[in-house]
Amino acid sequence: MLFLKPLTGIVIILALMMTQGCAFSRGTIGEDIKSESVAEIKKATTTKAEVLALLGAPDRLLQVNGRDVFQYYRYDAKVGSLLLILINFSRVSVKSDDLFVILNREGIVEDVILSKRTEGLAFRFWPFGE
Amino acid sequence: MKLLLPRLCLIILSTVMCVTAIGCNVVRITLNTPLTQNDVAFIVPGHTTLADVITKLGTPDSITESNVGVVATYRFLDMKYSRINFGWLLKPFSPIDSDLIISRTGFGTDAFELLCDSNWVVTHQSFLRRLSGPRFNPYPF
Repeated sequence: MLFLKPLTGIVIILALMMTQGCAFSRGTIGEDIKSESVAEIKKATTTKAEVLALLGAPDRLLQVNGRDVFQYYRYDAKVGSLLLILINFSRVSVKSDDLFVILNREGIVEDVILSKRTEGLAFRFWPFGE
Repeated sequence: MKLLLPRLCLIILSTVMCVTAIGCNVVRITLNTPLTQNDVAFIVPGHTTLADVITKLGTPDSITESNVGVVATYRFLDMKYSRINFGWLLKPFSPIDSDLIISRTGFGTDAFELLCDSNWVVTHQSFLRRLSGPRFNPYPF
């Protein structure tokens, strides 16, 4: 097992010699959906006007089941690149935050659906596997 | 929004390709977390509600209305791109920048769709195409 330590060192030095550099890039579409603003929206109480005052105009306005649905979304893309002399690895991960505010016929909030998938989004280099 | 996503992916891919335009490149783009049959096995048509689905899978990417109910769609993409520039091997010996590039891109796009009735109960569920994911293979012929 002792010979493993020098071997590990050699592998690390070789890897560093082969490394030209790294690149990190990030792109976003839309504004961050603030959880505090969403928390202020109460079912069966908050009105359409109050939703608009809190979150602004929706990115999409849908008509579903005779109800108005406001959709707010934000996309986040993170790119990690490992630039080696012989080969480059890059991984682009894109995830979205989506908020749906469902309003009844009287313009009162019936349901609020939020998921923030971008919170766990990490920079990744390795393109293989999951 | 349907047009926005492919455009975003193309911009990112072009940037990555420009930055890494030497030697061999292996690039992967994933949009959302691809869903499998196991992930959606808990859905029982006629019993599971959209709220139950959202609790487990998060919000759908889109909700639209059809003649028979509400359609919720989860979209995901797994794209693999690989490229080899054989001309790069001649760089130390050649006064000119010669390129001999082979590359291939595979798009594994899919969507999971749910049809709900007026009470938000799931009545039908299905993957759009159930494509198997592409492999890294730069050979284009």
